[in-house]
Amino acid sequence: MNERQGNLPFLLNCSRVGDVVKNRIFLMSPAIFIMLAFGVVPLFIMLYYSFLSDGPSPTFTLQNYANFFQKAFYLKLTWKTIQMSLIVTLISIVIAYPAAYIIAKVIQRGQNLLLLFIIIPFWTSQLVRAYSWMNLLQDGGILEMFLRKLHLIGDGSLGILFTQTAVIISLVHIFFPYMVLTIYMSLDKIQPSLLEASKSLGATPFETFRRIVLPLSKPGIVTGSILVFVPCLGVFAEPRILGGPNGSVIGTVIEDQFFEINGWSFGAAIAFILLVMVFLSIWITSRLIKRGD
Amino acid sequence: MFKRISSWLYILLIFLFLYTPIAVLVLMSFNESPYNSLPFTFSTKWYSEMAHNQRLIDSTLNSVYIASITAVISVVVATALMLGAAKASPKVKSWVDSVIILPLTVPWLILGLSLLLVLKTLGLDRNFVMLLIGHVVVSLPYAVMVLKARMDGMDHQIEEASYSLGANEWTTFIRITLPMLFPAIIAGAFLAFMISFDNFILSYFLIPIGSSTLPIEIYSSVKFGFTPEINAVSTLILTGTLLLLFVIVLLMRSSLKSMMK
Repeated sequence: MNERQGNLPFLLNCSRVGDVVKNRIFLMSPAIFIMLAFGVVPLFIMLYYSFLSDGPSPTFTLQNYANFFQKAFYLKLTWKTIQMSLIVTLISIVIAYPAAYIIAKVIQRGQNLLLLFIIIPFWTSQLVRAYSWMNLLQDGGILEMFLRKLHLIGDGSLGILFTQTAVIISLVHIFFPYMVLTIYMSLDKIQPSLLEASKSLGATPFETFRRIVLPLSKPGIVTGSILVFVPCLGVFAEPRILGGPNGSVIGTVIEDQFFEINGWSFGAAIAFILLVMVFLSIWITSRLIKRGD
Repeated sequence: MFKRISSWLYILLIFLFLYTPIAVLVLMSFNESPYNSLPFTFSTKWYSEMAHNQRLIDSTLNSVYIASITAVISVVVATALMLGAAKASPKVKSWVDSVIILPLTVPWLILGLSLLLVLKTLGLDRNFVMLLIGHVVVSLPYAVMVLKARMDGMDHQIEEASYSLGANEWTTFIRITLPMLFPAIIAGAFLAFMISFDNFILSYFLIPIGSSTLPIEIYSSVKFGFTPEINAVSTLILTGTLLLLFVIVLLMRSSLKSMMK
């Protein structure tokens, strides 16, 4: 409605319409070009490489994919990576939702300041933060000393570092602020009058939450989940730093193929499988949402 | 009352989780032990070591240059895109949206190695141009998101008023649209800078052999023996960005006030 109104005086000036259309497309072209040429085309090049054999004279082959699907190791690793990313995403939703809700709906003043404090950690390197977790979580480290002072643990060591748990903790730490932001944005849009209407119609706070707040904040949860889940599928530095000898995930295997073993084609095949997984999971999520509506 | 107290308690817990590793990192930058071990002995040794570590300084400067160029390119391209898309049909808009969102749905690892394969196909070595392009591809969506939010919330009737008062497109852009977009342009540039500055994965794949950026330096140092100099650099960067943020907030406040008048 607003937009149509806005367009009117603009269109009245017919002599300029042709120029304007040309200018507008001209203005959009750099961004579109960058994204297509360096975001989309390279993925097809990667797909092409995944069908080549490694070596001096590459030939067409399906061997890379056969290698992947024939070995239990890779399938297990794939499942492990998906599982880890799902856990990180779920934990992020669980801890980010109340925080976003409190900032958007409970606290009356200082929302912007709190949001600022949520994003300030972005300005320290993810890798340095992963390293800090190493300091915190290691046996005899700060967390263990602290917990012992509180008599929350006995004399045994913490035993978290160099396990999957350590990797998950650090990934949640890195990614859950994104979830807070996206959920906050969707909660912030909910009109207070809507909540009051629900209350005055006799709904309990829980009912109001389940039937109004939660459905309306779903877009935020979904966007946040994608922003957390997708990068988690591709991480390799944090598992290397915190995961110990059993820390391998798909990302570390791809890194090895490219930097240690020189198996570029196989690396490309694994990367393409990972990409398909990403798109599948986004597709499934969007289907689930549609069904929910 | 109970609701408010428990709310603040929860926020406090969240911040405890969020800031403990950062506090540890800052503390350890002042700890004398090279292995970050306790007990804590105050020392500024790592700061002076850092000041003499040419490799660390070079890689930090590399990161700053790359992030600055990325931020400028991203925000200019994103602003052009948003201006172009403003009057586009809904169909074109949704098409543009999905193209822009794409890099957010592709793990950086995959983007990085596919760009590396592009270089291989072209017969080129890893270079800073491709590295910059990669950084722009991942930073641009964030700049676009910030600008889009601002554009959607903007009162476009002011622009129309400007047209109907006889201003041409250029004048309207300079005197109306740009000042209204300005906070979003700064925020978008800041965000793009940050995404690029902290980007490890793309740089790792595309950096020319022999060069490095700060995140790459940190990764290799964590892999092959960490030195607290990294803690010192990180502390400095954190302090620097906080100061910068503070200045920007102050500047924005005055620009917001002048807009109100």
